[in-house]
Amino acid sequence: MNPFVYSRANDAAGAVTAIAAKPHTKFLGGGTNLIDLMKMGVETPAQLVDITRLPLAQVEELPGGKGVRIGALARNSDVAEHAIIRQRYPLLSQALLAGASPQLRNMATVGGNLMQRTRCYYFYDPAFPQCNKRNPGSGCGALKGYNRIHAILGQSDQCIATNPSDMNVALTALEAIVRVQGPKGEREIPIADFHRLPGSTPNVDTNLKEDELITAVDLPANSFATRSHYLKVRDRASYAFAIVSVAAAIEIDAGKKITAVRIALGGVAHKPWRAQKAEQQLVGKTADEKTFRAAAEAELAAAKGYAHNSFKIELAKRSIVRALTTVAGMTS
Amino acid sequence: MSAATMGPARNRVDGRLKVTGAAKYAVEFEVPNCAHGWTVESNIAKGKITAIDAKAAQAVPGVLAVLTHLNMPKFKEAPKKEERGISSGIRNEERFPLSDDGVHYAGQYVALVIAETIEQARHAASLVKISYAPEEPLLTMEAAVKKAEKPKTNHDENVQIKKGDAAAALKDASLVKIEQTYITPTETHNPIEMSGTIAHWEDDKKLTLYDATQFVKGVQNVLARSLGLDLENVRIICPFVGGAFGCKGAVWMHILLAAMGAKVAGVPVKLHVSRRNMFVGTGHRTPTRQTLSLAATRDGKLQAIQHVSETLTSPVGQFTESCGSRSTGLMYESPSIRIEETVYPVNVSTPTFMRAPGECPGTYALESAMDELAYALKMDPVALRLANHADNHPTKNIPFSAKHLKEAYQLGAEKFGWSKRNPEPRSMRDGDLLVGWGMATATYPAHKMSAAAKVILRANNTATVQCATHDLGTGAYTAFTQISSEQLGVPFENVTFELGKSDFPFGPVAGGSNSTGTVGTAIHEAAVLMHKALAELAVKDPKSPLSNLKVEDIAMVAEGRIGSVADQTKSDSYADILKRAGRDSIEVQSEQKPPEQSKTLAFQSWGAHFCEVKIDPLLPRVQVTRVVSVMNCGRIVSAKTARSQIMGGVTMGIGMALLEETSYDPATGLPVIRNLADYHVPTNLDVPEIDVSFVGEPDFAFNPIGARGMGEIGITGMAAAVANAVYHATGKRVRDLPITPDKLI
Repeated sequence: MNPFVYSRANDAAGAVTAIAAKPHTKFLGGGTNLIDLMKMGVETPAQLVDITRLPLAQVEELPGGKGVRIGALARNSDVAEHAIIRQRYPLLSQALLAGASPQLRNMATVGGNLMQRTRCYYFYDPAFPQCNKRNPGSGCGALKGYNRIHAILGQSDQCIATNPSDMNVALTALEAIVRVQGPKGEREIPIADFHRLPGSTPNVDTNLKEDELITAVDLPANSFATRSHYLKVRDRASYAFAIVSVAAAIEIDAGKKITAVRIALGGVAHKPWRAQKAEQQLVGKTADEKTFRAAAEAELAAAKGYAHNSFKIELAKRSIVRALTTVAGMTS
Repeated sequence: MSAATMGPARNRVDGRLKVTGAAKYAVEFEVPNCAHGWTVESNIAKGKITAIDAKAAQAVPGVLAVLTHLNMPKFKEAPKKEERGISSGIRNEERFPLSDDGVHYAGQYVALVIAETIEQARHAASLVKISYAPEEPLLTMEAAVKKAEKPKTNHDENVQIKKGDAAAALKDASLVKIEQTYITPTETHNPIEMSGTIAHWEDDKKLTLYDATQFVKGVQNVLARSLGLDLENVRIICPFVGGAFGCKGAVWMHILLAAMGAKVAGVPVKLHVSRRNMFVGTGHRTPTRQTLSLAATRDGKLQAIQHVSETLTSPVGQFTESCGSRSTGLMYESPSIRIEETVYPVNVSTPTFMRAPGECPGTYALESAMDELAYALKMDPVALRLANHADNHPTKNIPFSAKHLKEAYQLGAEKFGWSKRNPEPRSMRDGDLLVGWGMATATYPAHKMSAAAKVILRANNTATVQCATHDLGTGAYTAFTQISSEQLGVPFENVTFELGKSDFPFGPVAGGSNSTGTVGTAIHEAAVLMHKALAELAVKDPKSPLSNLKVEDIAMVAEGRIGSVADQTKSDSYADILKRAGRDSIEVQSEQKPPEQSKTLAFQSWGAHFCEVKIDPLLPRVQVTRVVSVMNCGRIVSAKTARSQIMGGVTMGIGMALLEETSYDPATGLPVIRNLADYHVPTNLDVPEIDVSFVGEPDFAFNPIGARGMGEIGITGMAAAVANAVYHATGKRVRDLPITPDKLI
């Protein structure tokens, strides 16, 4: 582990000032990802600003019934168990509880979960010489390496890593807004624009600027609470990253016609993958398995597999069908 | 039907220490002024080190030494082959660490940094710059074909076996045949306690090691030889082990590094192997490729079994995995048996013993093939196994002792409800879920090694028993306390059993499921000596009811009493004998002698696993929902921990079948799976309640305790039982483990 300076911020403004003052500074929240990467020498910040004492851990209703605001430092376990989240956004609660282990969820924060790095053996272990994310220009070790957990959508020849978060997939389906504070004030980033595809700069995971602090995540009001579901397919029953996951929500009318639908996929891309092609195909159609399968086929038409992960393409289609069948079968 | 059990079921004697954190593991000992080591590993699989720049590392505050092959003191020459071996300790790699510029696999230690704190050592290690001249590595069986070897023996057992003419039977058109190849991947032990050593030189001739090991006497032997020290000046201390499964059985390079590093640095050194390095520095189970060919008559009588297995080792490794000889060599009766084993040396880190080495992958292949044969014959899998049951050892032609495998099949089938099985694949359902039922035979040999025990019996009717044996978390403390209590005739609560110190009388490696029987025998022998010593005091004492009797006519007659064998009314209590002799205590020690190996009986444990899986046909992750395991291991010493051993083996077998795989990067030969997030062992949610029972009788022909050991048998056959259930559920035969969802789509 590289030597680094540790400091503590007491409020958001102080945190932003601290990060701007010294290059290569990172915020420390739950530390469940950053500390691992620092131990491995993948992340080598010169300074850590501990933000865990900032008053940003509340879950509160937005005025005018506009939705709910979750503080960036709310712990994953607290959010998952919060009564408002369980009632109005069960999809988020399910996704959080599907992730990691109770011990990790007790530590991990909402802001930190948004910021967790993409997962790839070649990125996490500096013993491997090739990784464009760790060492831009060195090549991608996974492309011709062992790539069972890697991306099938939106990847580039520079990087085929995946975003491992469950929470992010649910937030994508819920069209969350990420609130951030920088030296020039506050701004909002829609979740769809928060994470990036790798392109030619896979070293940059998100569109958050280096001197910005995530303060909250807003969940807009919606009417999906009664028909939503988080499906996680993994190799073992618990404590495993998704090989494919699906956050699905649907509204159907009395004639079984789909009036609104949200689908996001996890484990398949460098960012949580909003399945817009599938959504477009579904609106106005009858909710049945044939329709779901056609929509899944459309979404995965552009998918590309590698030596060990091609199975994910069919698995993603089946997962979409299962998730939609589940939400369509729910009684509202 | 249950195997005779020794006394009442006992809770673990060390249970309170474990759950309160008071049990002290090797690297938890507090040694004053202890420095910390951190290793640097090679990132290439083969080649030579051309330059080392350690300046930056040396400049880090707190750094005491940076050791590389350029400044590493020499170890003593490798001892002659006959001095090595299972009883005197094994060095897992032929080559000493940091002994030259050669690199033989990725992950090989190439430097050791010693510093005052672990953070300083770790940071400095990251600054050591190593330059290499890489060479083309051999990473696969295909690449290493020209270097392939066919070893004649493994631990003195023949591994290339030929009985009858299997080739002819496999060509016989009138027979029903199957031939299939089964693949198992690299599996890594991953005990919860990582390996680690504290090396403390009291002076330049006296070394104490606190080492997480399955063999304190072996570590003592190897270290004394390698460092040129007198045996009695090397002390090994290891009272608790947090799981091992074979990866702490022999001496790995970090132990030698810690000892030499502490000598150079002039302070005690703690070297705790990281979880990451547990994937390269403390062994793994080699991947295997096994081809099974079976031929049987239409009524299911095997006429030929051929088992060809191929495994890997490293260029500096000493270990080979004998799949066929340790399973097919003894499982079923057949007029012809052919077993072939080939080992390929590749530039991948060194494999080692892992729970049931040989038997575990071997029974997976054999018991999968037997299931395939059962389908080819349209015969029930249990009936097929009964039809080929071996009363005699099939290749040694001597009877098995106390074999109760047929009862295990029968009880297992009954408890599981096997008769309700519709053999047709995909025929059984639970709602939308596919249901599969599979079974397999389990087997593991009863190994006998040598040991000695010391007994101190006190006039207050308490006893302390010592042996340099081990408790890997298996419950050995409890089992040996029970055996001591029974054999000595001292109440369980009054017996203290001590282990894990090289100062104690010889204990063998805690491997090969031998400890209970071997150490139990030593305790028995020490107890006989103790009763004799008491008798000698009593016969000389005019006040004793045993006065003037012959010592050889006296034995233990009840708890705490010796008496006349012929006349039960004449007896005397231990306490009275000692008190009248003016003795506070009496001490005896049994003699370590080579065990007698029977030429007329074969000793082997047996069992049957029955397993149910449920699978969602759309998203096919296999969930094991029921397991019934019935074992025949001779006498059950410690009922609770024995059950736990089988549960642990079954759990590990479920992991092998469905989850565990250490994958490697095809370019560098480095494992890509190097942590417990990526290496999947079963979680609670992956394992159903496991119904364990025991059948049979004490095997007193094997040893005076009647116990054959049970650390390993639970995992044997289990992966096949799961794989067979998966076939029954889905109609798809997956022949390469683990059976992850991608293989069933």
